[in-house]
Amino acid sequence: MIKTILGAVVLFAAIAFTAYLAFHYAPIEKTMGPIQKIFYLHLPSAFSSFIALGICFYANLRYVFTREAKWDWLGVSAAEVGLAFISVVLITGPIWAHPVWGIWWTWDARLTLTFVLWLLYTAYLLLRSMLEEPDKRALFSSLFGIFAFLDVPLVYFSIRWWRTQHPQPVILGGPGSGLDPRMRVSYLLVWAAFTGLLILLLNGRYKLEAMRASVEELRREAEVR
Amino acid sequence: MKNLDSVLAAYLAGWAIFFVYYISVAQRMNTLRQQIEQLKNSLNRGK
Amino acid sequence: MALLSNTAVLLGKELRTEFRSRELLTTTVVFILTIVVLFSFTFDPSVTESRRFGPGLLWLTFLFAASLMLQPGFLREQNNDTLSALRLSVSDPFAIFLAKLAASAIFLLLTEMMMLPIFAVLYNVHILAVLPQLVLVFFLGSLGVAIPGTAFSAISAQARMRELMLPVLLLPLLTPVLIASTEATAALLSESPQLRVDWLGFLAGFDVVFLTALWLFGEYLLEE
Repeated sequence: MIKTILGAVVLFAAIAFTAYLAFHYAPIEKTMGPIQKIFYLHLPSAFSSFIALGICFYANLRYVFTREAKWDWLGVSAAEVGLAFISVVLITGPIWAHPVWGIWWTWDARLTLTFVLWLLYTAYLLLRSMLEEPDKRALFSSLFGIFAFLDVPLVYFSIRWWRTQHPQPVILGGPGSGLDPRMRVSYLLVWAAFTGLLILLLNGRYKLEAMRASVEELRREAEVR
Repeated sequence: MKNLDSVLAAYLAGWAIFFVYYISVAQRMNTLRQQIEQLKNSLNRGK
Repeated sequence: MALLSNTAVLLGKELRTEFRSRELLTTTVVFILTIVVLFSFTFDPSVTESRRFGPGLLWLTFLFAASLMLQPGFLREQNNDTLSALRLSVSDPFAIFLAKLAASAIFLLLTEMMMLPIFAVLYNVHILAVLPQLVLVFFLGSLGVAIPGTAFSAISAQARMRELMLPVLLLPLLTPVLIASTEATAALLSESPQLRVDWLGFLAGFDVVFLTALWLFGEYLLEE
């Protein structure tokens, strides 16, 4: 209980810290102005989601070859947390873009890729909910996760090539467009805070999965008696 | 500044998602914790 | 090589099973035909518009049809409990997958080749001049659909709501195939037809990646 509250405090502190950096410490960008500050939320979220999905892939591989339950726990935790970060990217994008650019969505390469990733990992979690037996659930979702991850670079390249041939308005300009040192520092610190957030959420979700496993075990024991 | 409003709104939405996720995980943990207690008690009684 | 001979035997079985009833082929063709007609109501089917939307429509339709067509792949084995017998009959489980994906790819290609002339007539598109190149595009694309499709057919056979799960799992993953195939097809059907070797190379790469993954992980997909 205390740990939960402590976690929430850490979360809140991280929010406050990154908000301070983004809005007060980092200077206003030359070409885009204050709306550029969305970067301190968008890019770190996207980056953290990629890390989470990488962890998920690694956990999937480990599970298939070792069949140890803890890798399945890590896999589902990483997928869920990764999905949360991707959702943040997908939702904050339109919210920020609409008042500024008048459009909710554009099918540019980055957003489209993010959407496809969201679909892939939602499918992963959906598959898990459709597999009841724990061993089967772990094995088959891991196998799907492996295939899905192998697809990611292919999705990225195909969308990029396609978009260079059919360009769309890019809502979020490229990063590093003349990074002022204060911007660079802010960005690094925010990114560190997001990594911390990732670890915090992963840890919590992993423990939840471990608990679920002990509940199932206890239930089985109770049935035997 | 109108534009800064949209940045703020986006930030709030984003952080809301993280909070909601964290709370949902915490809630599920509480439920499971209770279930574990119940099961452990019934197992001990059964002994 | 034992793998090839095993695959050939199994492939023969798959083809024979299907051609006995031909229900898969006929149902799929009717399905695609229906969608092709329905789509004509959603845009102005002039020649320029058909050139713009046609290839995408065609490939999207094939993807939907494929996700239905791939269902029976492993479902048949599950329903009749023949999977363990199948596994015992071959030394390399990869043969089972090769046979099933070859069968699926062949059925897909057959369906597509049947649909192409109908599509050309209905939407006033010229295909004769570029027919061999089109076949190449459809061949690589169909492989791209069949390879992960067969793998996911094995996965979804284990799950609840498997009829809906297969498309949910497969379609997002096939984004690169859709993009590459549509672009290559569109280039061939355009006013100045050209063969997009870059997209074809990409498709071939996609096929290789997933064939390798299937080879590496196939035996686990067959676990019960």
